[in-house]
Amino acid sequence: MRWVVFGLLGLATSYIALFTVVLSAMLGSPHRFGLFMKHMPGVVVWGVLPAARMWLWARRGELVPGMAAPDFTLERQGHGPRVTLSSFRGQRPVVLVFGSYT
Amino acid sequence: MPALNALYRDYRDRVEFLVVYIHEAHPIDAWQLDSNIEDDVLVATTRTADDRHRVAGVCVTTLGIELPAVVDEPDDRVERAYTAWPDRLYVVDKTGAIAYKSAAGPFGFRPSEVGATLESLSALPPPIETA
Repeated sequence: MRWVVFGLLGLATSYIALFTVVLSAMLGSPHRFGLFMKHMPGVVVWGVLPAARMWLWARRGELVPGMAAPDFTLERQGHGPRVTLSSFRGQRPVVLVFGSYT
Repeated sequence: MPALNALYRDYRDRVEFLVVYIHEAHPIDAWQLDSNIEDDVLVATTRTADDRHRVAGVCVTTLGIELPAVVDEPDDRVERAYTAWPDRLYVVDKTGAIAYKSAAGPFGFRPSEVGATLESLSALPPPIETA
């Protein structure tokens, strides 16, 4: 009986440790998270943990609808002219699609 | 991409669309995906503006993206402000306020929700002109 209890405690501790480590990685920078996932067997993260929910929480961000969208000025692709988000204020709504090739 | 291109075509006369090209989701030097190897989409983390502009250009061309694109700085400043990695959708209304913020990508990346937001923004009566 004792061994069952120890076994369960051991499992629970491992689970909590794994959860903490993965959540910390999710809260880190994208590049660090990528390096972490490179060494992590996917099945451990996605199979064992509630990874999607953890991710959605870790990456919820501080912005909330109603808040001012942070302004920025970035070059058009190909070192084209600069575009400033706030230049559209009073003119038209803006859809921002964040992403990358991979 | 087809869904976003379709939205763009429908709304471009009234709405500004911007792809903001950010830090790679699955660069070869970090969390490479098998599907990327199969599709021959092999990209290292972009560390300079030139690299990022170049890869953004390849992306736009290869994926047939009709939306205009801007490229985030190598320090990922805009990605950080918007917690945007690996992908995310926002709609900013005419006052500069956030009208819609998707859940974090990839799970939350749903162009249909952008469409619904744009419809509701178009349905709002125009602001009352003050003389």
